[in-house]
Amino acid sequence: MLRAAFVTRQAPHGTSLARETQDAILATSALTEELSVFFIGDGVYQLASQQNPQAIACRNFAPTFAMFELYDIENIYVCADSLLERGISDIDLVIDVERLTQPEINQRIRQHAIILNF
Amino acid sequence: MSKSITIAVLVTGPAYGSQDALSAYHYVKSAIELGHTIQRVFFYNDGVLNGSTLTSPAADEFDLYNAWIVLAREHLFPLDICSGAALRRGVIDQSEADRIGKNQFNLELPFQLTGLGQLAASIVTADRVIQF
Repeated sequence: MLRAAFVTRQAPHGTSLARETQDAILATSALTEELSVFFIGDGVYQLASQQNPQAIACRNFAPTFAMFELYDIENIYVCADSLLERGISDIDLVIDVERLTQPEINQRIRQHAIILNF
Repeated sequence: MSKSITIAVLVTGPAYGSQDALSAYHYVKSAIELGHTIQRVFFYNDGVLNGSTLTSPAADEFDLYNAWIVLAREHLFPLDICSGAALRRGVIDQSEADRIGKNQFNLELPFQLTGLGQLAASIVTADRVIQF
């Protein structure tokens, strides 16, 4: 069983939760490699490239997802159904992530001892 | 009685305005009564607002700020406030106020500014991490 699943469901801006989740994931990766990240629901918007949140006085933290590779975070998944529902299946994403259906995501999340939901 | 376990609690809701922190408090109290160990309560996101000593509920209302302090002192678990999240929300202790050049501070022991490393440590070592 893997240690921790981070499930991130919020759009990147509007609240700070998505950004603070990214911080928590990076901090946790310093102590364990047994973690996974799941982008589902509106959370899939976090991965969209070419965001310009500086226009609303917010930091563009999407490029920081590139740090995941550097921190040996390898289990990164995006919900293909969530992308499809939002009509953004074909947009460029900021990092390579594995696309899973909702049932596959649910099954994969259950393989973790600790599930954190943001 | 079931086996005693070590529990870390993550609070992301403020002291007032949502039920999250109150639910976390009641959970912690119940877990202790059942014989479990609270490793720490980690306050993140809007949860850091629980650490403001300026929180002033009406006289006939439950004082969650003081309730956290009483429980933590009695059962010796840390009340860890994420410093990055706290400073952005105007929750700041004396040494940070001095460092940044602010005239005021509003965070005192047993609440303490810490980093996300404490949350990470709990994720790696606690038997359960319960999120509110």
